[in-house]
Amino acid sequence: MHNILEVRHLSAGFSARKSEVKAVDDVSLLVPEGKIVGIVGESGCGKSMTARAVMGLIRYPGRVISGSVLLDGRELVGMPEKEKRALRGSKMSMIFQEPMTSLNPVMKVGRQVEEAIRIHEKVSREEAAHRSVEILTSVGVPEAEKRCLCYPHQLSGGLRQRVMIAMAMILDPRLLIADEPTTALDVTVEAQILQLMRTLSSGGTGILLISHDLGVIAQVCDHVYVMYAGRIVESAETAELFDRPLHPYTRGLLNSVRSLRGGGDVLDTIPGVVPNLMRMPAGCGFSPRCLECREECVRDVPRLVDEGDGHLIRCFLYEGEAAE
Amino acid sequence: MLNHILRRLLQAVLVLALVALLIFLMLRVVPGNPIATMMGEHVDPAVIERMTSELGLDQPITVQFFRYILDAMKGDFGTSYSMGKPVDGLIRTAFPNTLILALCAALFAWVMGIICGTVSAVRKNSVLDRLFMGFSLLGVSVPVFMAAMMLQYVFAYHLHWLDISGVKNWKSFILPAVALGWNSAGSISRLVRSTLLEILQADYIDTARAKGRGQAGVLIFHAMRNAMLPVVTMMALQLSSLLSGAVITESIFAINGIGRLAVQAIEGRDIPLLQGTALFSTALVILGNLAADLLYGVLDPRIRKES
Repeated sequence: MHNILEVRHLSAGFSARKSEVKAVDDVSLLVPEGKIVGIVGESGCGKSMTARAVMGLIRYPGRVISGSVLLDGRELVGMPEKEKRALRGSKMSMIFQEPMTSLNPVMKVGRQVEEAIRIHEKVSREEAAHRSVEILTSVGVPEAEKRCLCYPHQLSGGLRQRVMIAMAMILDPRLLIADEPTTALDVTVEAQILQLMRTLSSGGTGILLISHDLGVIAQVCDHVYVMYAGRIVESAETAELFDRPLHPYTRGLLNSVRSLRGGGDVLDTIPGVVPNLMRMPAGCGFSPRCLECREECVRDVPRLVDEGDGHLIRCFLYEGEAAE
Repeated sequence: MLNHILRRLLQAVLVLALVALLIFLMLRVVPGNPIATMMGEHVDPAVIERMTSELGLDQPITVQFFRYILDAMKGDFGTSYSMGKPVDGLIRTAFPNTLILALCAALFAWVMGIICGTVSAVRKNSVLDRLFMGFSLLGVSVPVFMAAMMLQYVFAYHLHWLDISGVKNWKSFILPAVALGWNSAGSISRLVRSTLLEILQADYIDTARAKGRGQAGVLIFHAMRNAMLPVVTMMALQLSSLLSGAVITESIFAINGIGRLAVQAIEGRDIPLLQGTALFSTALVILGNLAADLLYGVLDPRIRKES
């Protein structure tokens, strides 16, 4: 299958007081055409930074340190800003977590939706306005023509996120990055937005969905990457990952959100917190919190190894087995 | 929206009436008989008494007040003691000078303030940023009389580019406008810089960049309009205070404006003239506030009243 997005050994971070801090460390991932690929992890694990690195929107003083990002085979790392700008909004686009603050408060919704057309194509205002009403209707905004004349504060959270999606989808991009698109919404609206994402991907768009919510990931993703402390620690098809989680971190995550069937009264938690980027452990990033931590875990970083059927795992518990 | 405007107008009238009362009362409690001051030292007390009753100053204070208010509503602010001319005429002659000076100063302040502030925000911590912010800091901290005299010294006395004082042609307004506007330029550029820096971190700026907007497009179409909200308020308020007369600048540059008229009124214990200029300035400040308020509603859809 054709891969729309191919990220290879991407590292990104900040230069702080002579030392380099990597918020994203050697991340590789694939987003195939028409698939939804998820990145799951706690806040601060580097998932948003990965997304921003792909879009070329890392905020100063952060930057891509090394690695490669291929969009439909074209290298984005090191591409001149002007060329990258031509791809943003047309070939790849992004929607953000907070639909409340991600829309310009003093600009009418219609103007914001049609903005991408006006930037990338030479069309008349009428044509652009017509197309923005069309896309708004297709993402389920009722009375789209009327809504175009509204300001963002006049719309509900769910509608605003639909507007964001319409805005991102208006030029039919190859890749859509959704950074926690449903976190700020309530559950019924979340389900609608996720349904919409599935519809979009069936149209051929590759979607990179970033979330800390395993429920969201389980509902829509075809493939999942689990990130911890800037590294990918496990990667598998969604069903495989939920059936057979291997990494102690993934198992911990799944245990902490046990379904209705699960018996106990008390939810399991993972002890400790995500390590500070400035004081990252020398070995496996998860070792300070890991119940199965061994001597080597503290000393060395485990490699990402294939456990069979493309189920990748970065843990010494499995590295030995794979080697044998 | 109309409702909102009407309510604000009503408030403005109320404030104006209150201020009129305050000005009136303050001038009555100031010690010293204005007639005696006007007439000089060696005058027959009988003459002073006759003058006092002629001007109605022997009437009860409430009668004086209502007479003053009723006359003022007809546009009659009385006759200046020291100049012997109707106050409204004096104000009308002085106002054009003040208006030109204020507009020039405001124009200087806005153009400099917005350009310096924007460049400083976009090129944060650069040499230009430091330079502009230094210029702004000087503007807000150097007193107007100091700036005025320095400008006179450099550009008039040393370089002979411009006249020291007086009004001959449009060039006569350059130095006073810069002296007067520098302060406003400083505060505007600092406000533009800080507001813009904050807005450039906003989520919708990322959204705009994700759509493919370049730096200039982001700045023009998204950041500037949002950054202008507090700035426009400040500009409107500054303009109204500039319009109400720059006492010090007008005196130093010998411009016959409202500010200078007020100084003359104070020196001459000229109650009608002082009342007139004070009331006029107040009215302008209130109008400026009103304009800022309404303009804010136009710029920011979030505070527009739903009809």
